[in-house]
Amino acid sequence: MRLEDPIPNLPPATLPMLAVADVQDSLMVAAHDLDRLQRLLTDATDTLMDHFCGASTEIGGLAGITGGTGLPDATAQAHLQQVRQHLSGAVTALQFQDMASQLIQHTLGRLQHCTGRLARDLMGDDDFGAAVLQDAPLHPNPVTQDEMAAGSVELF
Amino acid sequence: MHSILAVDDSASMRQMVSFTLKNAGFNVVEAVDGQDAFEKAGQRDFSLVLTDQNMPRMDGISLTKKLRENPKFKATPILILTTESSDEMKAAGRAAGATGWLVKPFDPAKLIEVIGKVIR
Repeated sequence: MRLEDPIPNLPPATLPMLAVADVQDSLMVAAHDLDRLQRLLTDATDTLMDHFCGASTEIGGLAGITGGTGLPDATAQAHLQQVRQHLSGAVTALQFQDMASQLIQHTLGRLQHCTGRLARDLMGDDDFGAAVLQDAPLHPNPVTQDEMAAGSVELF
Repeated sequence: MHSILAVDDSASMRQMVSFTLKNAGFNVVEAVDGQDAFEKAGQRDFSLVLTDQNMPRMDGISLTKKLRENPKFKATPILILTTESSDEMKAAGRAAGATGWLVKPFDPAKLIEVIGKVIR
């Protein structure tokens, strides 16, 4: 049964208007906070990515310098290789922004639908016209991962 | 040098994919969604397409279907890299002509290994 489906064989529930308004307020605050979380996440990720790409470019430049002397410094090359491995090691975890974003968007959509539904059922249509209800997300949340471990691979 | 078309609406994912592929010696062209990818695919040849599924304007499965209609991309490996892991979605990807399905997040070494297996 979907959230918007009527509940069969039950009398319509009567909730105190103040309680419903309180729930609606809480949902709106939660939606607003999620929106803020999304912006914080995007801002932090942009900075992380700038530094990640900057470090990667510098490593490439250093590799060119040590290689260009014609006298490869084995120690320097080994350190550069270590740095490259550290950067590569961060790649899997740095994909968190994409997954977290999808998770937030999906949850935000659900909260906004709930808020709209409460408003419509409580207040009904007003002088400005019919209440507009935002659609609930059609699909289950696509992000089912609980940790940042690498996902599965399937070749057809 | 092999050229790979990397498609994702997330800038951070595009950066991670590009970083990984360039480090492995591939030339990378980025696209921000399926429509952008389809337009770029018409302008040049690619050895492989690596695409996200959930994107605005055109998703990964629709992109795969459209590319497979073009004789130029009949045999080009197309890998879908997505958070989606349901069997239904995988089946839809397979039916559309995708070569493989990779669930995010990807491990760089594993991604390069898979690309090595499917690329011509």
